[in-house]
Amino acid sequence: MRSAVASPAPGPAPGCAHDDGAAIVRIAALKKSFGDLEAIRQISFDVADGEFLSVLGPSGCGKSTLLMMIAGVIEPSAGEIQIKGANVAGPRREVGVVFQSPVLLPWRTVLQNVLFPIELLKLPRAPYRQRATELLRMAKIDEFAGMLPRQLSGGMRQRVAICRALVHDPSILLMDEPFSALDAITRDEMAVELQRIWQANRKTVIFVTHSIREAAFLSDRVLVMGRRPATIIDELAINLPRPRHIAVTEDENFNRLVRHLRKAIEASHAE
Amino acid sequence: MPNNIGKRAATIGWPVLVTAVILLGWEISVRTLGIRSIILPPPSAVFEAMTDRHDLLLAHLWPSLYLTVLGFVLSVVGGIFVAVLITYSSIVRKGFYPVIVVSQVIPKISIAPLFIVWFGTGTMSSLLLAFLVAFFPMTINAAMGFESIDEDIHRMARTFMGSRWQIFWKIRMPNALPYIFGGMKISITLAIIGVIVSEFVASQEGIGYLIKLAGGLLDTPLMLAAITALSISGLALYAIIAGAESWAVYWQPPSDAVAAGGG
Repeated sequence: MRSAVASPAPGPAPGCAHDDGAAIVRIAALKKSFGDLEAIRQISFDVADGEFLSVLGPSGCGKSTLLMMIAGVIEPSAGEIQIKGANVAGPRREVGVVFQSPVLLPWRTVLQNVLFPIELLKLPRAPYRQRATELLRMAKIDEFAGMLPRQLSGGMRQRVAICRALVHDPSILLMDEPFSALDAITRDEMAVELQRIWQANRKTVIFVTHSIREAAFLSDRVLVMGRRPATIIDELAINLPRPRHIAVTEDENFNRLVRHLRKAIEASHAE
Repeated sequence: MPNNIGKRAATIGWPVLVTAVILLGWEISVRTLGIRSIILPPPSAVFEAMTDRHDLLLAHLWPSLYLTVLGFVLSVVGGIFVAVLITYSSIVRKGFYPVIVVSQVIPKISIAPLFIVWFGTGTMSSLLLAFLVAFFPMTINAAMGFESIDEDIHRMARTFMGSRWQIFWKIRMPNALPYIFGGMKISITLAIIGVIVSEFVASQEGIGYLIKLAGGLLDTPLMLAAITALSISGLALYAIIAGAESWAVYWQPPSDAVAAGGG
């Protein structure tokens, strides 16, 4: 009963979430090996439209590989990935990706970086320019629009990267440990910001992380990945009301969820 | 801001002061020790030669500079072109690139007499030698620039469905610019050397020819005047490239301006 987590923000359609089978991403019997190295043994899961799903696992467990396969830049060894019912055979327009580092182009201003996908996708500039400016405002960095990345702090750069991933209005946002390079305080702040941006845009998010707290704080649902060769070893719905404030992390409910996830990960280590 | 100007004045001021002291010491010691002008003329005599015979100097300077710049431009265009081939063709990368890198150790200047045999004593030999010595560092630098893009940036562009063409023009090319300018700074210096050596070996004009001629006539002030004119020209060409670099590579301030840009 994951859809029990009702959001106060207007959703795409009432009750559309997870029980009506409207999976926007469908992953079936996915495997990936690099030569002799078996990275992902067998993974299957669905992601509902508008869901915030975290994939939690230790470093080097193949989470990023999984995400890059969904993004269409790494080819699976076996199995299927479907987005909106179509097989993924390469990068797709309805996907936006945020990487571990901001990977901004140093010669472009903040605004030009955000508009980069528009250029690559050959979309009309004028309307998206406005959208880019609005995204920057939403991420509270609109006053830096004309600056170069090197003039920004790490947290602000990652905000730019999030705006860039959203600029072409993708329905799916893939995030690969986007806050792992940031300090702890900025990290908490970014998690709250991301939740706000997500609630305003209602994208489907697949969020890869090795931080238990981050996964519990942000997600509707958490998948736990075990050590290589990876499988999904646990799944947990996070039924905390939204919007969540950072104070929720001191809540007993929250800590129960964190303990559950930690045990799941420890169990995978014990194997 | 005033602090900035002060800092800049200091970075220029000290070398100027040191140069002035050296010139002054030179002038005084030549005069007091009574060294003959044929052996070592004082700076004042060199300066005199430069002003009195500037027509002669300029007449020989222009052809040399013209060939230097032409050889340099050809090496930049050719070097970037070959670097693109190295980046995109695995045959060129695996076959030619190692050869180009290894051939770096050959002192290409030593080929000058061979060029005279092939192309005669005219401008063609000078031009080709300038091109040859300037071409290799240009190629290697540009190839390094095209290839040194961050794997994540490449991946990012691919997730947004960037084509190879787009990735080249929007990522590889700007990414290579600092490397290309680095190569250009090396190449312009080498192009000058190429032209001068070629003029030493066999030529009827050019500043290299004039230096050799003045040496033969034991006109040491003229010789030093020619060397000075050549050095100033080389410095000016280098400064033009450095200026173009700071304009084109605006996102990467030169190291001495980092503090000013970052503040």
